[in-house]
Amino acid sequence: MGSVRARGDFRSSGEAIEARSIKAALHPESPFEMHTIQAAPPKFGMLWRYTLAVAFVSIALWLSLALQAPFGNPFWFFFAIAVILSTWFCGRGPGWVVVCVSCLAALYFFIPPAHRLAVNERDVPFFVTFVLCQMIASWLISWRRETEDSLRRGRDELEVRVAERTAELRSANEALLRQIEEQRRTEEALQVARAELTRVARITTIGELTASIAHEVNQPLAAVVANADACVAWLSHQHPNLAEARAAAERATQGATRASEVIVRIRSLINKATPQKARVQLNDVIRETVALTEGQAARNGVSLVTELEPDLPVVLGDSIQLQQVVLNLLMNGIEAMTSVNDKPRHLVIRSRSQDGGQVGVAVEDTGVGVKPEWMPRLFEPFFTTRSKGMGMGLPISRSIVEAHGGKLWAESTVSQGSTFQFTLPHAEGPRK
Amino acid sequence: MKEAEPIVFVIDDDRMVREGLQGVLRSVGLRVETFASAQGFLAAKRPDGPSCLVLDVRMPGLSGLDLQQQLSESNIDIPIIFVTGHGDIPMSVQAMKEGAHEFLTKPVRGQDLLDAVQKAIASDRGVRKERAELDEIRARFDSLTPREKEVLELVVAGLLNKQIADELGTSELTVKTHRAHVMEKTKADSLAHLVRMSERLKTALRK
Repeated sequence: MGSVRARGDFRSSGEAIEARSIKAALHPESPFEMHTIQAAPPKFGMLWRYTLAVAFVSIALWLSLALQAPFGNPFWFFFAIAVILSTWFCGRGPGWVVVCVSCLAALYFFIPPAHRLAVNERDVPFFVTFVLCQMIASWLISWRRETEDSLRRGRDELEVRVAERTAELRSANEALLRQIEEQRRTEEALQVARAELTRVARITTIGELTASIAHEVNQPLAAVVANADACVAWLSHQHPNLAEARAAAERATQGATRASEVIVRIRSLINKATPQKARVQLNDVIRETVALTEGQAARNGVSLVTELEPDLPVVLGDSIQLQQVVLNLLMNGIEAMTSVNDKPRHLVIRSRSQDGGQVGVAVEDTGVGVKPEWMPRLFEPFFTTRSKGMGMGLPISRSIVEAHGGKLWAESTVSQGSTFQFTLPHAEGPRK
Repeated sequence: MKEAEPIVFVIDDDRMVREGLQGVLRSVGLRVETFASAQGFLAAKRPDGPSCLVLDVRMPGLSGLDLQQQLSESNIDIPIIFVTGHGDIPMSVQAMKEGAHEFLTKPVRGQDLLDAVQKAIASDRGVRKERAELDEIRARFDSLTPREKEVLELVVAGLLNKQIADELGTSELTVKTHRAHVMEKTKADSLAHLVRMSERLKTALRK
């Protein structure tokens, strides 16, 4: 409908309005607007157009004759209208036919002498003027019509093109919207998966720790049992050796104390308390974690060295999460050295106060190192170089460190070893 | 000859466990020597005599299984009682295949440890006796001349003196003399005894 309104703007002349109403009258059964587009001359059949033109001129003649009878004056203005209408609606050819027919009719019926195809000398200028007027009208109308047609064609084409482009844009837009929606869903799913994996990784870490814990608890228990047995044996002798029995009993007590310390440590590690930011001394976190991994390190022939800066500034954070990060880095370091046999397996964990109000922790191994092509992918979820790894440890560690306002990165030289380090801001902010 | 006093070597990286095991063993009067690592054990001078090894599987540096392998490669035959915190099946299978005497899990009951140690020492004693006898036999056989060894081979194979003489292209009398020397040098009471000693030596060499 918009296009129809727009078309109307082009036609400001009264003819156009007339033409429309006439077209409407001619095709009352069809929607008028549709046919105005198709009214361009070439679209009608040739026969039709000429017939219509002859009809116009016949009507004009009839009206002229009919009105002449009662009023006496020749009403030949209708011929002008017939020329205009036929040129407009039927095209240039039928227009000229109407011009000729109307001139002949005027000559025959209205120019004296009447009812003869002749003209009195006195009326020649009048008749010539009439013929000229008719011709000029026809010519003007056909010129106007053609101009308008070409304009309309241009506009129609433009509209078609615009419509095409609009459709293209619309489909592109729809595709984009679909993509955005899809991406949003993927991201949601990813987030859910990530949350799930964080949980799984935590459980896995704990699972890996179980072996370590079993060892940690079992060692002192073994000492307790052996020493208690020895104590009983010393007391059961014919002459009980009280000194030996006491020493054995004391060793048993020490073992039991150590076992209970291990359990306290483990409990604080897997404590499910909601993450809370508190003032944390990273050295304590490191010491606790190192104590938990010592067994694992020993079993892998790794010497674990801690170099902690005394009076390290405290940071603000969740000590359990930070412990998880340290634990992960230590476990990775141990893992990286399991295949190293040609040099000592050293794992050094270091804490340092750094410029800019930062505390840095570095874990350095003498392992196999990371291939340069793997470096950029190191912190990607699911990226792992181990057969049993989940590839979640480092991404989770990095997200924990970043959540604490810090950074975690790695440096590595193949077959030399790797250094993983993170920095966290002081609890008090930069010191002067 | 009085036999040397049996000795138990305890190797565990955990001081408390080490002392506990030592306490149990000492309380029944066993002589115990402890080591914190496998390397320490290898480096130490070990007195001769029946002994056994109480060995932790997982240790930094050289693990218990590594030590077992090294000992067997250096032909050091000493019964090993493995002690482990969490012995999994593949590990124990490997240890037993390599000839471990016993595989105990921590915490070890004192009596279990003592039983295992007594059995291991008894077994080591047997092995040592056997080895001493074998060494004796080998020394005797080594004292034979090449010709006497040839005669011995054929005698043990069941040939008569005449056949041996034919085989070696010599006289029956010479064979008889050689044969008498063989019996004397190997201290064989009878032909059957000689055959038994020869077989024992061959079996030991084949191993």
